Amino acid sequence: MSTEGLIVFFLVAVTLVGFALVFSSFIPPTSKNLFKAETYECGIETTGITWIQFNVGYYLFAILFLIFDVETVFLYPWATVMKELGIVAFVEILIFLIILGLGLLYAWKKQALKWE
Amino acid sequence: MFETIPLTHILIVSTLMFFIGVFGFLVRRNLITILMSVELILNSVNINFIAINKFLYPERLEGLMFSIFVVAVAAAEAAVAIAIIINIYRRFSSINVEDVSEMKG
Amino acid sequence: MNLQTFLLMRHEIILMIIILVMLAAEIFSDDKKNTYNLSIISIILFAIHTIIGYLPGEQGTLFGKMYINSELTVQMKNILNIGVLIVLLQASQWLRKPENEGKTTEFSLLIYSTLLGMYFMISSGNFLMLFIGLETATIPVATLAAYDKYRNQSSEAGIKLLLSSALSSGILLFGLSMIYAVAGTFYFEQISSNLATMSHTPALLALGMIFFIAGMAFKISLVPFHLWTADVYEGAPVPVTSYLSVVSKGASVFIFTIVLYTVFKSMLVLWTDAVIGIAVATMIIGNLFALRQKNMKRFLAFSSIAQAGFILLGTVAGSQFGMSTVLYFVLIYIFSNLAAFGVVSIISYSTGKESMNDYKGLYNTNPKLSLIMMLALFSLAGIPPVAGFFGKFFLFMASAEQGYYYFVLIAVLNTIISLYYYLLPVKAMFIDTNETPIEPLKSELLPKIALVLCVVGLLVIGFASPVFEYLKEISFGI
Repeated sequence: MSTEGLIVFFLVAVTLVGFALVFSSFIPPTSKNLFKAETYECGIETTGITWIQFNVGYYLFAILFLIFDVETVFLYPWATVMKELGIVAFVEILIFLIILGLGLLYAWKKQALKWE
Repeated sequence: MFETIPLTHILIVSTLMFFIGVFGFLVRRNLITILMSVELILNSVNINFIAINKFLYPERLEGLMFSIFVVAVAAAEAAVAIAIIINIYRRFSSINVEDVSEMKG
Repeated sequence: MNLQTFLLMRHEIILMIIILVMLAAEIFSDDKKNTYNLSIISIILFAIHTIIGYLPGEQGTLFGKMYINSELTVQMKNILNIGVLIVLLQASQWLRKPENEGKTTEFSLLIYSTLLGMYFMISSGNFLMLFIGLETATIPVATLAAYDKYRNQSSEAGIKLLLSSALSSGILLFGLSMIYAVAGTFYFEQISSNLATMSHTPALLALGMIFFIAGMAFKISLVPFHLWTADVYEGAPVPVTSYLSVVSKGASVFIFTIVLYTVFKSMLVLWTDAVIGIAVATMIIGNLFALRQKNMKRFLAFSSIAQAGFILLGTVAGSQFGMSTVLYFVLIYIFSNLAAFGVVSIISYSTGKESMNDYKGLYNTNPKLSLIMMLALFSLAGIPPVAGFFGKFFLFMASAEQGYYYFVLIAVLNTIISLYYYLLPVKAMFIDTNETPIEPLKSELLPKIALVLCVVGLLVIGFASPVFEYLKEISFGI
């Protein structure tokens, strides 16, 4: 990509976003009151400190997601050369996916996917 | 535009990252922060691999492929580490290195 | 993938099939009581796999020399197989504990996964393969160390092992990136041929090699990278500790030696100095710390650090003889250390006692166990009739042959120091009296088989010269 193209792209992006922000600030009707200034959290006023610990279940799900998410990285290089490599590569990636699937099934069996 | 950045600058950044990671690993007392330091080390290596591949040996993608595998391994490592850290928190109710140290010798 | 490929990778593929079958069986079996039977089946499958490994096979390379299969790698894998089989047999009693119910298959699955990683690591002809194998061999061990979910020390051991191994692989990778910058490839063969054409060694390459040695030293737990070892060995369950101290260490030593002999062969002068320094420090520090340990697991941990220093005597030699002594010593070390750990695990399992003072008067109540322990400790110390003596003697010879006389002298002095602390438990067991000795123990069939295997190995291998001749034939030097 040439430098001019990048500069034009940058300018257009800044203009569009800036226009949208500025334009929307004086088009709609505005009303100022106390309730609008409150911290928005699901409509209910917050009680206590907000720095509480999250349920550990979130982390367990995050770990599982992380692993399967990163494994998909390997599918991209495969996808770009799949046509040239042919059926062998296809079978190999199938084996890879089957092993991953077995891992997921194992997690399921061990009730790691259960929300408690 | 990008070609004007010389290889040495990239390598300086990655080396700095590496040593910040080592420093953090040795100095920090929170297990999660130590884990983050390790990730910093691994990512500095990734930068190295990709930069060297792009600047010195662009005809083959060996360094690039290596960095993909490093990312995958780092994810696996982080997953296992976080799982153990969660268990440690349940047992010790702390993830500070000094509290999580029963054995001395 | 055709039949030819299958035969070349037979170790890996059979083990992979065992892993997948066990995983599927674990997923689709409903009965919770069945899990113990599953672990017995997995031991039988693994025993068959071990025997298949000894059948003659072809040699060759795969995936553009990424994977190398030679007689040497096959025998290295077979040596590891023996170790893993003994560990599994020893663990079977421990796995029946009620708190391990429902996760017995997990134990063998994780062990097999690490072993698969070691296979790929040993057979690698490319740093990418080496790295993946190394990590596959390390990460599951951390979960194994943290296997006792409800014991604080176990979790502590797991996180210590995982974080220090992650740091070490980071250091190793940084070294690899420097080597890549100089050589432009990750293939062992191409790197060494590229290096041979250079008139002098580039500084960056030397630095990369030092980083690589440091990274590997973490895995083999050489001084000054040994700090994690004692805590991890003490905290982890006994079978895992024996696995870590024997099989993991053996595999890392193998690949370390192979890489030094193939990739860095043109830099022999550089790395021998570094490795000799590390080895001397390892022997001295390992011995000094082992002297004052009272916990048997910690004692064996520090003694295994010192043993790793001795193994490097063979690595430093850089000759065909040197590599064969490394193989031979690791084979003997597997039997001796696993015999010692076997006794410790039987006692620890039945009574929970791990301190050396509790072993006082053991001979009066459990004569067989004490005799096995004595044989194992004699072998570790290198006292003549037992196999360990021949292992150490050949290591010294290999190093002396290359003219490293001072190094051998230091090693011999360290052997004398080690004699003292190896005889301490023997004295406790045979001479000291105890008011409350450990009551006579009955162990189960499988751990007994493991101990008998170890004893046979200890007594036979030292005198079976064909074993050493064969190992020498398949090894290679610089």
